[in-house]
Amino acid sequence: MIKLNVSYLLGFILLFAGSYLSYSQQVITGKVFDSDGSPLPGVNIVVLSTNIGAQSDFDGNFTISASEGDTLVFSYIGYNQEQVVVGSSLEVEVQLQQDTEQLAEVVVSVGYGLQRKSDLTGSLSSIDGNDIARLPVSSLDAALQGRASGTYVSSPSGTPGSGLSIQIRGTTSISASSEPLYVIDGIPMISEELSGLFSGGQKTNSLADINPSDIASIEILKDASATAIYGSRGANGVVLVTTKRGESGTPRLEVNSYYGFSEVTNVIEMMTSHEHLQLMNDAARQDNRDLGTSYADNYISTQWGQDPDDVDLETTDWYGAIFRTAPIHSHDISLTGGNQRTKYFSSLAYYDQQGVQVGQGFKRFSARLNLDSEINNWLNIGSNILVSRTVSDRTINDNSLYGVVINTLAGDPLMPVFEEDGNYADPFDYFGWWMLDNPLLVAEQYNRFTKTTRGLGTIFAEVTFSDAIKFKHATSIDYTSVVDEAYTPSIARESSNASADGLGYYDSLEDFTWVTENYFTISPDLGLKHSLNAVLGTSFQASNRNFVGIDAQKFPSDQFLKLAVAAKITSGSTSGTKWGLSSYYFRLNYGFDNKYLVTLTGRSDGSSRFGEENRFGFFPSGSVAWRVNQEDFLKDSAFISNLKLRGSYGITGNQDGIGNFASRGLYGIGSYRSGATLVPTQLSNQSLGWESTSQLNFGIDLGILDNQLNITADYFIKNTSDLLLNRRIPGISGFSSVTDNIGEVENKGLEFLISGRKDYGDLTIESSFNVSFIKNEIKSLAINNQVISDSHVLSEGHPIGTFYLIDQDGVDPQTGNIRWKDTNNDGEINNGDRTIVGNARPDYFGGSSTTIDYKGFDLNVVYQFIMGQEVFNHSRASYENLGFNRLSGSFVLPDGNNHVLAKNRWKEPGDVTDIPRASLTQKNWREYSTRWLEDGSFVRLKTITLGYDFHSDMLEKLKINRLRLYLQGQNLLTLTNYTGLDPEISQNARDLRLAGSDFGTLPQTRSVVFGISVGI
Amino acid sequence: MKKTFTFLLFSVFIFSCDVLEPDPQTSLPTATALVDAGSAQGVLSGIYSSMQDQDYYGSYYVLTPDLLADNSVYEGFYDSQQELDKKVVPINNLWITNCWVDIYEVINSANFLISKLAEIEASDRILGEALTLRALAYFDLLRIFGEHYNLDSAYGLPLLLEPIPNNDFNEIPDLSRSSVSETYGQIIKDLDQAIPLLSGTSTTGTFSEWGALSLRARVNLYRKNYQGAFDDANKVITEGGFSLESSLESIYNTTDKTSESIFEVEYNDQDQSSFNTNLIRRDEFNADASLVEFFQDGDNRSGLLTVRSGKNKSAKYPSGGNDNNAKVLRLAEIYLIRSEAAVFKDNNHNAGISDLNILRERAGLPAIESLQSHDAYIDALLYERRAELNFEGHRFFDLVRLDKSGEILELEDFRKILPIPKEELQVSEALTQNPGYPTE
Repeated sequence: MIKLNVSYLLGFILLFAGSYLSYSQQVITGKVFDSDGSPLPGVNIVVLSTNIGAQSDFDGNFTISASEGDTLVFSYIGYNQEQVVVGSSLEVEVQLQQDTEQLAEVVVSVGYGLQRKSDLTGSLSSIDGNDIARLPVSSLDAALQGRASGTYVSSPSGTPGSGLSIQIRGTTSISASSEPLYVIDGIPMISEELSGLFSGGQKTNSLADINPSDIASIEILKDASATAIYGSRGANGVVLVTTKRGESGTPRLEVNSYYGFSEVTNVIEMMTSHEHLQLMNDAARQDNRDLGTSYADNYISTQWGQDPDDVDLETTDWYGAIFRTAPIHSHDISLTGGNQRTKYFSSLAYYDQQGVQVGQGFKRFSARLNLDSEINNWLNIGSNILVSRTVSDRTINDNSLYGVVINTLAGDPLMPVFEEDGNYADPFDYFGWWMLDNPLLVAEQYNRFTKTTRGLGTIFAEVTFSDAIKFKHATSIDYTSVVDEAYTPSIARESSNASADGLGYYDSLEDFTWVTENYFTISPDLGLKHSLNAVLGTSFQASNRNFVGIDAQKFPSDQFLKLAVAAKITSGSTSGTKWGLSSYYFRLNYGFDNKYLVTLTGRSDGSSRFGEENRFGFFPSGSVAWRVNQEDFLKDSAFISNLKLRGSYGITGNQDGIGNFASRGLYGIGSYRSGATLVPTQLSNQSLGWESTSQLNFGIDLGILDNQLNITADYFIKNTSDLLLNRRIPGISGFSSVTDNIGEVENKGLEFLISGRKDYGDLTIESSFNVSFIKNEIKSLAINNQVISDSHVLSEGHPIGTFYLIDQDGVDPQTGNIRWKDTNNDGEINNGDRTIVGNARPDYFGGSSTTIDYKGFDLNVVYQFIMGQEVFNHSRASYENLGFNRLSGSFVLPDGNNHVLAKNRWKEPGDVTDIPRASLTQKNWREYSTRWLEDGSFVRLKTITLGYDFHSDMLEKLKINRLRLYLQGQNLLTLTNYTGLDPEISQNARDLRLAGSDFGTLPQTRSVVFGISVGI
Repeated sequence: MKKTFTFLLFSVFIFSCDVLEPDPQTSLPTATALVDAGSAQGVLSGIYSSMQDQDYYGSYYVLTPDLLADNSVYEGFYDSQQELDKKVVPINNLWITNCWVDIYEVINSANFLISKLAEIEASDRILGEALTLRALAYFDLLRIFGEHYNLDSAYGLPLLLEPIPNNDFNEIPDLSRSSVSETYGQIIKDLDQAIPLLSGTSTTGTFSEWGALSLRARVNLYRKNYQGAFDDANKVITEGGFSLESSLESIYNTTDKTSESIFEVEYNDQDQSSFNTNLIRRDEFNADASLVEFFQDGDNRSGLLTVRSGKNKSAKYPSGGNDNNAKVLRLAEIYLIRSEAAVFKDNNHNAGISDLNILRERAGLPAIESLQSHDAYIDALLYERRAELNFEGHRFFDLVRLDKSGEILELEDFRKILPIPKEELQVSEALTQNPGYPTE
């Protein structure tokens, strides 16, 4: 900007001087357009071989003094330079064409700096903020699904505002987090779940505090070369989020709104009351034949006083009772502008999503101000401020006693939702064993709120010492306050069984984290052949977290939520914890002749979490790249426009799984007889350290035909050792385990990104496709073959998320019984026969995006696919019980209703089916076996958007700059063979070891929204 | 200006170096946890608080012996309890896996306290309680994992008597199992040392002299030292100042101590047990039909079983606030110990009748005049013990030590004790599995 001012001034002086020199000098006025005919502001115009210059204004207009015969040079970043010889006319109109080569020269954020994409030696994926800004999802991570290679984003449920699981290049950790580090505008942010409210398996999402429409771009750093600058937090990859910043010029106001509806992607069809009764009677009949019992005809329906042939028998649609079509809407307004010295971007946004399940919802209010000020020619100061408030209305779900979906799963079709007097029906008055409470009561009458207030503020200063040396300082605070309030009403069984008269709960968490970063950027001028760019800096971060938790009972009535009215406080406590990180880092980029590129990176991290003997870790990486297309033999190739080969190796760490004080031997405080006590809480491990990941990466970037087609392929081997695992120790110590660095896991894979763009006059087609093949394998464990749940095992030679179930060979057509595989040959079928039968990891996954633009219309279609993953349908294993009766008494209470597929069960000798006969007593049908292991592959129409941008003629009449209308569908179509609610599901979102298990989990949602964007 | 500004920025960053040494806010480093009499009392109370664990006196240790026997039937979800109820306990059973560690936690705290008490000034009582707690913990472990009924058996326990050096997991010793008689020897040694130290104490929420004596009576009964058991029980009955509650309900319908309480692990509504949750709220540990049918006509103790939601349940832990205490030692049991010890020490099957009759009278049953044989006495004793102490953690052990588990429970011999947990065998070279059970 200084330069521009100077050139203005110079131009002005020269103009003045020139008027004395030559009378032929005249004032030329003109306008600059882009290829679409839109005015281009900010274009530099100089008179060739002079110092006279000008710049086009916001409407593309400019004035400049020149003589006839002078050459005007028009230049603008991303566009081809144009030269115009001044003729006799005093008006000039110029159209600049986009420079496809320069377009490829995208500048990307790499952590502590920016780099031209062509200079990159490491591996990263870039996502344009515009592509994800206004999807009907609550958080930026959800918007990434299917859009970046090597990045597996899975949404464990359709719970609004809930946390996702992102794994960049595989699952690197078993017990610690495999989630990436999130860095917002250079500041590592607290991204873990902070709510303490019990919800079943789903977590809240700290990333939902960020308004996705504020995002300018996202970079996903993948290989060690890219992530080593984040040292002990880089092993799971790094997601760099850059928010929008101000631009000089006339202020621009943008208003965006969308409104729509969501519903669940699928419901399961269950048996009607008739079919349910028939099945129960059939179960008794089958037992008579197979087990020699002597139940009467219609044994069950007679016992229950129901007639299966009664035409008036009603069937309760339990899914219909808890699911709904829910509105979703979002509004944001942003103001961008500034002058040469100060620029701003500010926004205010509101997002409101009702849950597709009764009792759920998510709202966000957020405001942002990003400010850049040029104080003088050596000092820039700026700040970024985000304030947001989210409110999640939550219910219990997944594998929990009072989960809404789980109680619904096998809901008794004979039981009404409400009694005739309007009260909720009590499942204990009916003939099912399944429900522990009426799920609609739980959904509607439980109050469970998580309210998060977040302030993320940064102030930074950039000092320019010389062209070669710059210094940047940034200090940031990340403050989060989370308040959970819950009330279980006295009419709920959970309360009445405990004679509690209402159960109240309050907890709060306050996290205050500060970071200060200081770094030099050094880029000396070494002539044409050599280029050097170095970063050298320090970072300190400390976090302080405080907790409050209170439980109360005995409420006077169910209309209250606050604990002040509770007659009895059953527990109350406060506590706190701290951690700190101090770091020193460098990066060196060297380029020779624009052909050979080398990057060396290193970071030394000291963490308060590490044991005393291991306080600091050093994480180095190195990478090289060869820009083959710059070599003489390719330089002029018409076919290959870009060819780069890359290679990198480095070591990064993961310290997330270490408790803040995990390395120390501690005594905690407890109580006995209302007195304080000291109890041993952990043994010490002075050598406790980070998980260490070495990664080797080879990559190729290929551009064909002027980069109309681009291919990027990467192969990587990622080996994580020193895994943080609980080492089982002899129990005679009073402890079962300590956290220790043991174990090894490997991820290796191939990822491809193919993208292309073709213009056919008015029609532009842009398309991209990405696919990743990632193989995960546990190399070593503290103890091999650890069974970690009813369905999962950790075993060397197998991936994380391996299923461990009883195997079977289908149904015997003669007897209708399952043909089990008695693997331990003990004549019994039980837990001891479990064996490794598959895993939850996809063979490959990816997505595609196609955008067609035609005369203001645009159509964007995004597909996502995940292939080869298996899902353990734990839900169906539990509810498809084919009449199994848990109680030993003579009155029969089955576990619940069955899937309609159970109508295809075996009934008579000779029936060939995969569903065994019904029975009142054969528990073996229910065993956790491969019967319930299903192919969870799916292809999903993730997003389809049809939009129209009004033409400038129309806009001029309306006196606005931009008007866009669009219709968007999310998850409209899912192709899968899975028989549960949705194949993209995990009952335990917090634990990847248990991935791919579906038990009472809320399915994904699909939505349709209509949106409008107005720019003024 | 530029220099000043840069200097200011640098000073900010030098300022912020001290981030690596935060102190925990709710716990103490082991090295400074126990330094004086006050913290010794804290660590002692901590041992009781470790005993409150759900797997131990929080409920499972008390309820499991009835599940393993014929008093209780499990009608809940958990595999672990289902396995115990079926009496076919795999080596990876969750409860045995946890309970081994949880009881050793009590032992380790006691070891730490006992060793530190050599260095600091504190009252004798603290040492006495610590020794008694260690004895109770070893005894409770022995009943589950060791061949407690066979004094010649090699299958006792690994005896850890010192704290783990430096609290460092690398220094946990790899101990092999001591014999059953060595294990009993250690338990009695601790109790012998503790009892004089506890002289004059009389609390029920912590171990008093009477609690320690009662425990020694019980241990002596198990190890067949009948004279010792008789003497200790007799002393508690005659000198302890305890008396039987006149009504049965008043033993249980309270969350406070009663006149017959000797040692209880206490709970309150903020520091909860889980008896009521397991028995009533979650409908899991229900009463076995055979227990319901077993009572003689007129035995008022059958009134402590109720029917709720169609299930038979014990009414011994009625408080929904889960502040029900674990009644570890109460006077009624001491009468039963004295009775049994009297019969066995003199080999006189009528020597224990009067003590049985004291309990029968309270229960509303006629007195036993005399018995025909030793077997008849055993039957009468087992009737009283089952009627009096059901759901209080005795039945399985009684059947095993009186050699009735084969007859009544149809139990294979090796299942009289539970297996050493698989996870322990995986991390210890020296530890050996109980006979009959797999090692992996």
